[in-house]
Amino acid sequence: MAQVRSGFLVDTSRCIGCRSCQVACKEWNRLEADKTTQAGSFENPRDLTPMLYNRIHFIEKADDKGDVTWRFVNERCLHCGDAGCMKVCPSPGALYRTKDGIVGFDKEKCISCKYCVSACPFDVPRYGADDKVSKCHLCLDRIGAGLVPACAKACPTQTLQFGGRDALIAKAKGAGKKLYGENSLAGLGVLYTLEGKPEEYGLPADPSIPTSIFLWKDVLKPLGILGFWGSVAAAVLHYVTFGSRPLEEDGEEKGGDSHG
Amino acid sequence: MARYVERFNTAERVLHWFVAASFFTLLLSGLGLYSLLFHHTFDLFGGGEGAILVHKIAGVIFFFSSLLLFFNHAREVVSFDESDRKWFRALGGYLSKDPEHIDSGKFNAGQKVFGLFMGIATLLLGVTGVINWWPQSFPRVIVQLSLLLHGLLFIAFVMLMVVHVYLTTIGNPGTLEGMLYGNVRRIWARKHHPKWYKEIAGK
Repeated sequence: MAQVRSGFLVDTSRCIGCRSCQVACKEWNRLEADKTTQAGSFENPRDLTPMLYNRIHFIEKADDKGDVTWRFVNERCLHCGDAGCMKVCPSPGALYRTKDGIVGFDKEKCISCKYCVSACPFDVPRYGADDKVSKCHLCLDRIGAGLVPACAKACPTQTLQFGGRDALIAKAKGAGKKLYGENSLAGLGVLYTLEGKPEEYGLPADPSIPTSIFLWKDVLKPLGILGFWGSVAAAVLHYVTFGSRPLEEDGEEKGGDSHG
Repeated sequence: MARYVERFNTAERVLHWFVAASFFTLLLSGLGLYSLLFHHTFDLFGGGEGAILVHKIAGVIFFFSSLLLFFNHAREVVSFDESDRKWFRALGGYLSKDPEHIDSGKFNAGQKVFGLFMGIATLLLGVTGVINWWPQSFPRVIVQLSLLLHGLLFIAFVMLMVVHVYLTTIGNPGTLEGMLYGNVRRIWARKHHPKWYKEIAGK
């Protein structure tokens, strides 16, 4: 990358679960409210939607005595260095990477194939009523104007921090925190500092592009091209070596009805 | 004695070319989805969304017409006899300049396997196609496998199509006539499908 890679740090130890990030994102990106139902948790909505680019996942645990612990983690597109969504997208420019490493999307160029939904290691992209891809783009329009993403701007506890990726990593490591995503998938653009195992936060311990997607795009695709030209070559080779089976019109074909 | 014998009647020929036309439509509209190398094939359909729409319509047509074609011949292609086993052992005689006599029926063993593959592959391409069409209605892992399988079958299909076209045109002169005009020359029938020829000539 020609430019310094941008990064985004989610310091879960600072999060108070206020959801200012959710609201600020909706405000800036003009996303409509989702109708939800009370499901016995403060977590709301319960999942990312086409109108919700980031949200706070509430991890509510009760121990034997009935004491409840809460953990909060901001869920969004992680802007992978090696992005599954971009690997499978058949429409150039529908999903694209900026010079500073952010994965943006362009609804005008999206052809609604939904391959990205299957290829994302974190199950992030969503398709709404317009049948076009949507996900967090780290407020590319704000970043371009020298501002920080709306969620980070609104965060009152500095849980969400935007800046140079290397600087954010150095800072977190300097504070002795455990980093998630430094090297996974060629480095995640969105990094986490966690106070427990990734699985406890709903994050895969070792995120990777799904195996069948890897086999599909990195193995089968090149083999298919080879297979096609291989069959053409085999046919041509057969024709010039064993040759075709002409019909002897004079009726004196050698060996009579010789072939099956 | 007439020089020709009937191999495929009009309905069979129309169905075959119907399947072939929908196959090539699927191939053209799907290439851009297969790889960015073929991105410009989308232009034939006014863009990627148009290509996907055509792919879905052609897919439905292909699914039913190809299955119909398969079921029309299912009885002939599922039974293998001694001469078919001989065909397999000799690889149809294709790797010999002076092949031994194989007493094949209307379809030889290779054609039977091809027909079986077509039936099974059509079914699986249809099922995976529907899953890929509505990915949000199925578990993610199912869709991921479905995308892989659809691609795998597509490649196998295209490779067999190269072989099919070769063997029915320049590989075996006289074969294409059967699918174009319905009749094949007697000498062709006697040479390639002797058992079948005896059956129809005896009538």
